[in-house]
Amino acid sequence: MDEGASLGRFNEVVLPHLSAALSLARWITGNTSDAEDVVQEACLNAFNGMASYDGGNAKAWLLTIVRRTSYRWLSQNRKPVEKAVGDLTDLEEATTLSGANINPKLNPETNYLANASVAALEAAITTLPEPFRETLVLRDINELSYREIATMIEVPMGTVMSRLARARSLLKTELEKSR
Amino acid sequence: MMDDDQLSENKIAMPLMVQALVDGELDPTTENRIESLIAADPALAAQRDSLLALKAAIRRVPQPEISSALRMKIAAIGSPVRPANTATLLPFRARLASRSYDWRALAASIVVTAVLASGATRLLNLNSSSDSFTMAIADDHRRSLLAASPFDVASSDRHTVKPWLDAKLGVSPPAPDLAAQGFSLAGGRVEVVSDKPIPTLVYRHHEHLISLVAEPRHGRGVSEPVDQSVAGFSVVKWSDGAFAYWAISDTEWPDLNDFVAQFRAAANPK
Repeated sequence: MDEGASLGRFNEVVLPHLSAALSLARWITGNTSDAEDVVQEACLNAFNGMASYDGGNAKAWLLTIVRRTSYRWLSQNRKPVEKAVGDLTDLEEATTLSGANINPKLNPETNYLANASVAALEAAITTLPEPFRETLVLRDINELSYREIATMIEVPMGTVMSRLARARSLLKTELEKSR
Repeated sequence: MMDDDQLSENKIAMPLMVQALVDGELDPTTENRIESLIAADPALAAQRDSLLALKAAIRRVPQPEISSALRMKIAAIGSPVRPANTATLLPFRARLASRSYDWRALAASIVVTAVLASGATRLLNLNSSSDSFTMAIADDHRRSLLAASPFDVASSDRHTVKPWLDAKLGVSPPAPDLAAQGFSLAGGRVEVVSDKPIPTLVYRHHEHLISLVAEPRHGRGVSEPVDQSVAGFSVVKWSDGAFAYWAISDTEWPDLNDFVAQFRAAANPK
């Protein structure tokens, strides 16, 4: 593909999703200025890799590059942070089982969710352990499908579903605490 | 696929199935089963309502603004004048080639600025920027024809397509079934134009697909259908106050105009 054709496709495929790209990078790196560096680098990678875009969901394609770039950037620029979650496998098993006990009340109060401030929501999302936060952000903020997320983070769909359930349950608990 | 008995007894799977329903991930048959189980079980209904409330809350978290500094840097991608650290990443041939394309750098930065700046304003005014909007929709329609499936949810049942769009976007246009008139509902998908998700219905007419893009208008402006050709497709746009519509297809003009007339008659009965 020559430079001109790449540029045309870049404008068509990448530019509409910059905001989604910045959003994902910000949730992974934790702050906007790092996220801007990541998005810039990811866009350059996307431009150079334009030939690999197969005409599918452009946002999923770009976000896959953004995610990869974010983690590479983190590994180069930051010391690895201790995982707060312990063993992920245990957590995922616990998720599936505890899913049966969600909301024993028949008429749960959801007003606290409707009334939660954006700041409280952002803070609560930030407290989620990384694999859960990432899955939640990809689904509920970037609006990718289960299959797109599974492909992107290279886990089975069932894992996406259980991480998502766990993330949402943790988020509700966090928001309930802060109301 | 699990049958009803298995599902209702499978306490482990049910929360995930309710979640998949709320996320619009189920096929129509499973969706109907889960919905009827929910209707019979207040605890499941509570799970669903709580998930819907949470998703609605998360939707209020704004997407970050693209700063003008970042905008400039991204506009510079594809420009022959690159920052030193990025130029080295380009293959040698591409660097050579890029020298002869100075005008593209300028064009790229104009396009970037236009795309980013118009995101908010184009949705406020049907006429001023609607040409590039229409062009974007034409591109999306073409992409959808090239993709493995031209829709995200395949169903001829409007009771499936509408809730799917509602669950995704919190809004959905009327989705009348026009099969009797020769236009069968084939499914729905979400278009993203300037980072705005926009509900889109897909109708089938003989061998042709018609994408009907419906941008919520919240009562602003009513306009009669206007025909235009964009990127080789026939496009008819109009607004009924609640939505601005773009019907786009490679079908013949008389067929597309007939579709528009049938859709308008069914969506806004006089």
